Amino acid sequence: MRFEDYDFIPDFEEFIRSIEIPQPYWIRVNTLKISEEALVARLEAKGFLLEKFPGLNAYRIVDMPVKHPGATVEHSLGYYYVQDLASMLPPIVLDPHPGERVLDMAAAPGSKTTQMAAMMNNSGTIVANDLRDDRIRALAGNVDRMGALNVIITKGDARYMRWGVDFHKVLLDAPCTGEGVVRKTPKQVMPAMKDHKRMSRMQKAMVRNAWEHLADGGLLLYSTCTFNPLENEEVVRYAVEEVGFELMDASRNLGGIRYERGAREWREWSFEGVYEKVVRIYPHRVDTGGMFIALLKK
Amino acid sequence: MERFGIPSDIVSIYDFYEFAKGVWATTSPILPSSRIETVGIRALRISRDLKPTTSFLRVVGMHARKNVVVLDEDQAIPFLRGGEIGGVCGDMQGYVVVRTSRDVLGCGLCRNATLVSQVPKKYRPEDSWV
Repeated sequence: MRFEDYDFIPDFEEFIRSIEIPQPYWIRVNTLKISEEALVARLEAKGFLLEKFPGLNAYRIVDMPVKHPGATVEHSLGYYYVQDLASMLPPIVLDPHPGERVLDMAAAPGSKTTQMAAMMNNSGTIVANDLRDDRIRALAGNVDRMGALNVIITKGDARYMRWGVDFHKVLLDAPCTGEGVVRKTPKQVMPAMKDHKRMSRMQKAMVRNAWEHLADGGLLLYSTCTFNPLENEEVVRYAVEEVGFELMDASRNLGGIRYERGAREWREWSFEGVYEKVVRIYPHRVDTGGMFIALLKK
Repeated sequence: MERFGIPSDIVSIYDFYEFAKGVWATTSPILPSSRIETVGIRALRISRDLKPTTSFLRVVGMHARKNVVVLDEDQAIPFLRGGEIGGVCGDMQGYVVVRTSRDVLGCGLCRNATLVSQVPKKYRPEDSWV
């Protein structure tokens, strides 16, 4: 059985049942270009049935007249982004403000970058970084489509890259083994333990580089879309105990989102002092993919 | 932007930088990093002429006062698919802002009285669209 040793997940059997159900599409309205009300009216006039998540700019597509939610004039015009609700939560917790300087260390394809540009009303600076040319093309395409004029795209390895400035806030939505998107890719091969360990080492190096680029008092939002604690709580433990970050409560701004706290222990690892303040999003709690979120202060 | 009669106070909120065969528009201060790939969004492509981009016209094009083609709603999808539309250019020649009554669709080229879509392939529909 998949995830069989992830016994830290509450209501585990319900969780297993939930990942067998295909994941719905969610969209986020690009408020740089159109209001929520105007876009919803336009899509509903075309036959979309949308359900707003209370208090958030997030709409679940209940029904639509096309095969893919991006097959509309409004999508081409950059009026909305097809983005899972769980993926919208890291920027909401980080809460970038207009005028701030923000670093998005592993930004492609740009869902969170363009979300933050809208939250900042296109002011200040977002440095959106990624490593590979194909990923940067996808990122640049979405920045263009959404009209995100405060975004500077850089190319580099987030473990070692030097940007030459300090940032008020850093979003590290880290490369991960992606177990949380299992509802979208049900035939995905489960990662092996060596994959989690290799990924964890890379994530820790990125966290250390984030420290180097944060101003004193600056915030790091660390997130992944995977369930394994070595890529989540263990990286946060490292950030606190070995880098020097202060762990903050990641549940701020989550409103009506039904979240869980982190894993207290897993196999031989213990995460006392970490699990109480991090947040996990599970598909059997909210109709989304999985997400891990931690908020750290320099 | 003079070609389109866009008021200077609309454009003056952006900083413009020329690099990578383009002129880029941004609201952000520039960075010292040497690994920069893009700054804001490309406003103009530089080749034999200066070509306005669809993405920047979608930001400022609603303020255009001249060299504007207004399409009916049912002509929007053919234009976004990259097609050509006759009978809409009048006596205009060259690059135009293409819009409907409610949306700026992007950049077009009026040539021999025909509107040729300049919308990049990445924005074009692949299958059934609404």
